[in-house]
Order: sequence, then structure tokens, then C-alpha cells
Amino acid sequence: MISIKVFKINKPEFCLVKTNGMLTEQFIQGLIEETRKVLNQSEKLNAKDLNYLTWKSDTGSWSILECLEHLNLYGDYYLPEIRKAMQQSTAAPEKNVKPGWLGNYFAKSMLPKKKLNKMKTFKDKDPMNLHASLDKEVITIFIRQQYELIELLNEAKGTNLNRIRIKTSISPLLRLKLGDTFHFVINHIIRHMAQISRIEGEIKGMY
Amino acid sequence: MELSSVISGLPHSIITLERNEYLKVKGSTDTNIYFIENGSLRVFVLDDCEEQIIRFGYAGNIIVSLDSFLTERPSDFYIQAIKKCELKVITKRDFKLFLDTDKSHQSWWISVLEELVLQQMEREVDILTTSPKERYNRVLKRSPRLFQEIPNRYIANYLRMSPETLSRLKKS
Repeated sequence: MISIKVFKINKPEFCLVKTNGMLTEQFIQGLIEETRKVLNQSEKLNAKDLNYLTWKSDTGSWSILECLEHLNLYGDYYLPEIRKAMQQSTAAPEKNVKPGWLGNYFAKSMLPKKKLNKMKTFKDKDPMNLHASLDKEVITIFIRQQYELIELLNEAKGTNLNRIRIKTSISPLLRLKLGDTFHFVINHIIRHMAQISRIEGEIKGMY
Repeated sequence: MELSSVISGLPHSIITLERNEYLKVKGSTDTNIYFIENGSLRVFVLDDCEEQIIRFGYAGNIIVSLDSFLTERPSDFYIQAIKKCELKVITKRDFKLFLDTDKSHQSWWISVLEELVLQQMEREVDILTTSPKERYNRVLKRSPRLFQEIPNRYIANYLRMSPETLSRLKKS
């Protein structure tokens, strides 16, 4: 009568690969669920000490804190942009998500592959260019940004994900649909959280 | 019927949460019932970046996002582990099947819900009570266990007072 199944809470089951035509509500709930997993991973990191968090395999790679700082730099740009655009729009919500081809491409390209696929970092988003020593405040800010993201996703239920457009950090001329922007931002976070898991694996291998 | 024995007889899975991990965040739909084997959790809402704790759960309790459970719609609540938790998860479907198998199961469930309504009424009076001392006394009398299991800063938030006020009241 009793069946005990152990399901792991951090399994990435919702990769949001095919979003075309998806119900808006389902799309947003999927993104919220992904953000919850990110929050849980960052709470675990918050319990680690600074040596662990700043460890790097070689001088050219990022530490855990540098990965998070990189995400914070993106959050600093995108979260206020999203909020502003949502406040300015009066377009009614639509039932289904219609990704744009570019936004969809950006979002998909962010997802981590089985084998490490290195990507270029824009100079202004590279934590190694900051020349500042990072401390655990980085995690506090990152967690606060995830709360803000959850808040924005909830508010987005009442907006039009297909009509509102967000200027990208690359160029104000390059604009993505709000839905694609959320998708891209969250897949980008997932990408670097996977990188952090890899770093943690390397640390484990050392001891 | 004892809650823990009812839960043990139902099909369930088990999940563990580390300290500070989230079972649920705002905007998700969670219709499961969770029985707390060990550990403790808090249910809260975010009001303009301020946390406001609604409820606690500790070993032997069930914790449910009751609005989602009843409506199958998204709920605004966050549920977070205060200490490392082990939870038994029962789906709404399995729970409904259990209720439908016997009339006595239904009347048992009604009594659980009735108890909850009474607790909610007590809580409503708590919130409307102006004096911090009176709020503290009411909760202390009702749930002394709370003060053994939950850190002070969370109790203070639940009682809508500063941690300083709470520690002053505890001394007096």
C-alpha cells in the first residue's frame, strides 16, 4: 500500500525548450518553479564559507561568487527594465506565448549543454574586470534579485508577454519580447547555476 | 483517528529540504499535502519586500498551501524550511481517493478543517489585538511549543513586533 518514491527537488525537468503556443499561465509557472530551484541552490551556497565561494580552478576561470556577481550585473540591468516596461504598457494579456525567433534563439542558446560550451562574456558583465574583492553580500543581493524576479513574473500574468518589448543590454535597438526576455534571463541564470555545480564538483574532487 | 497514522497509510513520497530551502514560492500552484516528519517550516507573504509570517509548521503537523489545495490555482504564499526537514508528500488525488473510500474518513477530515477554522479565528483576534503584551500572552498560552521550536526573530515577526520587544516581554 505504501509506495515510497524519492523525488529530487532540484531535477531540471522544466527546461522550457518548446514554448511556442504554450499557455501563458503555464509558461510563467514554469519559470517561477525554475526560480524556486535557483533560490534553493543559492540558499545552500549561502551556508558555505568565503574560501569555498572564492575558490577557482585556475586564474582564468570564475569562482562561485564571480558567477553570481556576473548574474547580478545582468539583474541590475534587466529587472528595472522589465519593471519599467510593464508599468508603461496597457496591453491586455494574451492566452498563449508567441516567442520571437531571435528571443527564442537567445533563450535556447543559454541552456547548458551536456558538454561545456564556452561563451564569450561582454566586458562590462565580466566580474573579473571589477577588480574588487567579492564577499557574501553578492549572495544576499542575488537572493534579493530572485525575489524581485518572482514578483515580476507574478505581475507579468496581467501584462502582454508578446507585445511588451525590452531593450537588450547589448543595444537599445535590439529589443526582445517580454516573454522571451524572462525566458532568456532565467535560462542564463540556469546556465551559470550549472557552472556553479561544476565548480562545486571540482572542489569536492580536490579533497 | 491520529493524523500521523492516517498519513502513513496513504501512498506518499518523501522529500527533504535543507535549512532555508523553499518548498513553494509566490505564484506557484501546489495542491499537495505535506506531513512534517521532522524539522520546521514557516509560511509567509512578501508585502512590499517585507516578510510577514502567517503560520509555522513543526514535526507531527501537516503543512498545505490550502488556497491552492482547494482552488487548484496559484497561491501567494512562500513556504520555507527553518530547519532541515523531512516531509511526506501526499497528492490531492490520493488524498481525495482516501476520503471517498469511507464516510468516517470524511468526518475525520471535517474535524481537521473545523480545528483549523478555530485556529484561524484565534489568529484573527491575535492580529487585531493592539497590545504587544496581550498578543504575546495569547500565543504563549495557546502554543507554548512554538517558543521551544522556532527562533525568536521569526516569532517576533509572527507577533508583529520587534525582536527587542519580544525579548523584553519574555523576561517580564
